[in-house]
Amino acid sequence: MKKVVYWSSEEVSNWLAEEGMPEYTDSFQRLNGEDLLQLTEADFKKPPLSLVSSDNGQQLLNKIETLNIEHHIEAHKNGHANGHLIKGNDGDVGSKAKRNGMPNGFRNEMVQIHMPMPEKSHFPMEWGKTALAFIYALFCFVFTTVMISVVHERVPPKEETPPLPDKFFDIFDRVEWAFSICEINGMILVALWLIQWTLLKYKSIVGRRFFFIVGTLYLYRCITMYITTLPVPGVHFKCSPKLLGDWEAQMRRIIKMIAGGGLSITGSHTMCGDYLYSGHTVILTLTYLFIKEYSPRRFWWYHWICRFLSVVGIFCILLAHDHYTVDVVVAYYITTRLFWWYHTMANQQILKEATNTNFFSRVWWYSAFQYLEQNVSGIVPRNYQLPFPWRATPFSRNVKYTRLDT
Amino acid sequence: MASPQLLREVDSVDTQLDVHMEEDVGDLSNGFQRSSPSVNDEGSQSQPKQSNLPNGLRKSGRKHQDYIKISVPEPKNRLPLEWWKTGIAFIYALFNLVLTTVMITVVHERVPAKETSPPLPDKFFDYVGRVEWAFSISEINGMILVGLWCCQWLFLRYKSIAARRFFFIMGTLYLYRCMTMYVTTLPVPGMHMKCAPKLHGDSQAKLQRILRLISGGGLSITGSHILCGDFLYSGHTVMLTLTYLFIKEYSPRRFWWYHLLCWLLSAVGVVCILVGHEHYTVDVVIAYYITTRLFWWYHTMANVQTLRSSPQNYLSRSWWNPVFCFFEKNVQTQVPCSFSWPIAWPPSCFKSSCKNYSMVQSARRQ
Repeated sequence: MKKVVYWSSEEVSNWLAEEGMPEYTDSFQRLNGEDLLQLTEADFKKPPLSLVSSDNGQQLLNKIETLNIEHHIEAHKNGHANGHLIKGNDGDVGSKAKRNGMPNGFRNEMVQIHMPMPEKSHFPMEWGKTALAFIYALFCFVFTTVMISVVHERVPPKEETPPLPDKFFDIFDRVEWAFSICEINGMILVALWLIQWTLLKYKSIVGRRFFFIVGTLYLYRCITMYITTLPVPGVHFKCSPKLLGDWEAQMRRIIKMIAGGGLSITGSHTMCGDYLYSGHTVILTLTYLFIKEYSPRRFWWYHWICRFLSVVGIFCILLAHDHYTVDVVVAYYITTRLFWWYHTMANQQILKEATNTNFFSRVWWYSAFQYLEQNVSGIVPRNYQLPFPWRATPFSRNVKYTRLDT
Repeated sequence: MASPQLLREVDSVDTQLDVHMEEDVGDLSNGFQRSSPSVNDEGSQSQPKQSNLPNGLRKSGRKHQDYIKISVPEPKNRLPLEWWKTGIAFIYALFNLVLTTVMITVVHERVPAKETSPPLPDKFFDYVGRVEWAFSISEINGMILVGLWCCQWLFLRYKSIAARRFFFIMGTLYLYRCMTMYVTTLPVPGMHMKCAPKLHGDSQAKLQRILRLISGGGLSITGSHILCGDFLYSGHTVMLTLTYLFIKEYSPRRFWWYHLLCWLLSAVGVVCILVGHEHYTVDVVIAYYITTRLFWWYHTMANVQTLRSSPQNYLSRSWWNPVFCFFEKNVQTQVPCSFSWPIAWPPSCFKSSCKNYSMVQSARRQ
């Protein structure tokens, strides 16, 4: 390395970048080595350097000092300062330390102390998997809609097959506006959950879980709806006429139902036959479970409100005689069990491996679960952050605290 | 007898030893430097007491009853039998079976007549026509499986634990079945079904029916399956599936042929229920789902010890969690698959119960 005095401005800027002081490169563009050595503290007190430097140039001056020392020592080739016996000038290849004119431990370049890399994040975002789960849920929704439209053709007409005897219907008579309450509650809960989800820090992981569970529940629903068709629970039902093979009209119905979300309020709940089990119960229960799970424990009033909404919604389904009691009971059971099952498996590392004692691994969706959750180690903490970055403030300032800050 | 003499001899030796020691005032044998007594007194708290005996031999050990007890951690029994818990589980299962029978009788009164309420459309029934003798096959398979499970259970070593689990799971499944049967009544799945006439409040006759159902086990082979309305969900499927799961779980893994045989029996039995048009498809599917989930859930909670203490164990939110804790509190590990003869083999009665292995024990006893 040639002496600093002989440095060109390019070498100066290279050296600045190396030393981690890129903020000076602009101001020192025309500085060469000689000028560098002549910098003093006073220079940093005037513009333009006072604007660029945050510490009055102390760091830079120190580094220039160091440079000076290095060169001084090298020039004098102080063999004894090295601490090792020097054999001869033609050099022992096997000698321990190369003579480099520096005192012990002082090397030209910075020595990198190998720091253990920070561990991979325990909760990687992996939006790709969330997208897959979303597609799966979407597919299950569409499949359910297609299934409802198929089953609708097979529902026995009200006149031939009266509603089945149901204990709840015997005790409570039908209330007309109850189903709207149920649907309003459902929409409120879904909106609350959506807002809560956008505030979560680990959105992708939680979103993935929600889509997967909802998709699987609707898939199960397809199966139970299809294999046995229950008659309409009440004579008040207005079922659309059967289409009997008219594919185009069926497609239009399907699209109308998807667009309306299957709710009566939006006018898309015109098809009958999808009774076992109740999709409304699934949504009401599932959103409540997710809301409760991914919100802080101390918001007990919030949990109570959501639970109240959920329970009232479910009660209103029955009050409106829109589903049989067994539909609601089975839906509640399957939803809660699946949710608890999935989350227990996700939270316990020991259950993520398929062993003999782990009976949980015998469910059919276990490999899908492993794919989704294998990189998530531990319980997802309930951290929140605003969905948009809060950067546009003049308050944030990057203050450097260490010289090694590169 | 030799022992008292021995005692006296040893005693005398000991005394001699004591005397010898005291006479010699063996500083060196103490192992510690003997400073003057006064200093020793001061420092007695920090250093072990000077006792005039060689290291480790205590003077108070003169009497042989005062041995120093080194407490060895006793191996705790990790799989206690606790037959009384099994008894409670059995009563629970019995109660639920009786409740189911009562419920069937109640529901029977509410089943809509075949003429007014025709069988519901069912996909399986559309494809597969009814075969008359299929249901008998299903019931025979069920009986074979139950018989196999009973035999296997007799040979298990940890009978009480396995039986407790079986009774609890079966009882809970039948309890769930009561609820689903009661809330909504499905019509008969086929016009071939012969339902007994409705009784409309004749309690005496109803009671007789209940007893008949219990005594026949609810099977149509025994002629006790005359009541209708118990369709959602299928009890036959529950028994077929549950016995297969238990047989597979509590038998050695290498008996794959045995597992395959039982699986075939179970699967054929379930399909025959549908072929016989005795249950709707949804009854069978839901029964299978609930049975397998409950079985796996229970056994995972029982086998994975870390789940019990973990706060993030959502499985503990099920309503039967306290009952589970009560039953499985003392079972610390997975029940090993070991077998033993159901009754103790006679020659063992003649063996002497305890062999003496140490002089200490024998000396102690006398």
